[in-house]
Amino acid sequence: MAAQEMETRAKQEVQHQDKSREQTRPGRYFLPEVDIFESEEGLRLWADMPGVDEKDVEVTLKNGMLTIEGVVSLDMYRNLFPVYTEYNVGNYYRQFVVNEDIDNAMAFSKSRCLKQRLLGRAVSR
Amino acid sequence: MALLRFDNFDPVSRLLTLQSELDRALRSPEFNLGLSGPGAYPPINIFESDDTLMLIAEAPGLELTDLKISSAGRTVTISSARRPLKMAGDTHGYHRRERAQGEFTRSMHLPEQFDLARAEAKYEKGMLIVCVPKREEAKPRQINVQSN
Repeated sequence: MAAQEMETRAKQEVQHQDKSREQTRPGRYFLPEVDIFESEEGLRLWADMPGVDEKDVEVTLKNGMLTIEGVVSLDMYRNLFPVYTEYNVGNYYRQFVVNEDIDNAMAFSKSRCLKQRLLGRAVSR
Repeated sequence: MALLRFDNFDPVSRLLTLQSELDRALRSPEFNLGLSGPGAYPPINIFESDDTLMLIAEAPGLELTDLKISSAGRTVTISSARRPLKMAGDTHGYHRRERAQGEFTRSMHLPEQFDLARAEAKYEKGMLIVCVPKREEAKPRQINVQSN
């Protein structure tokens, strides 16, 4: 069977209905696309955040809320003039409510995307 | 449209300036890629400086060994594939699966003043960046004014 042809999906902007969670930084934030799967040791999360340097990824787990934020690097755009664009550039932000059995979050990443492993004592569905 | 100098801006102003300029270019595309346009994967932004054209594609999750870039005449072609995640040990399945997988090929015609024979490419932070130098005759140059 032939491999599936990839198509571009427009980036989804973060919509803050709850004004108490509005970002302090202005500018548009985008939702990173994620894969989350469960294994014996817990949950693993992969998030695509192109343009974000490893050191600019922040992951917090507080009160059952996992927050992922990536600040995009802009240095590469210095002294350039946009002549054709198909996407906009912005920071990434996403939150998930996680199971109370998740007791620790450990983030590590490769250049292409953030990988996050959520360690839990016993992750129940 | 302004050149993105960023010299005296803080990071927040830089981002707002960039977003605004990208929006403007998005609404009035003056650059014709010829073979493929919006909707093709990967999405591409094109920037120009005094001496280079820079194609920046957002294509996270690729392996360098899968990435192929070729040129023929004025056409540059990018192709690769995004493979399924390799999961070690016992897994209980996906909770979410949003990241697309599959293959892609995208070709773009570039204007004649860019020299694809001297193009260079790099892949970093999930971005594929192709730099194509301008031909010497297409670079801006100062013209001296002489008096008799």
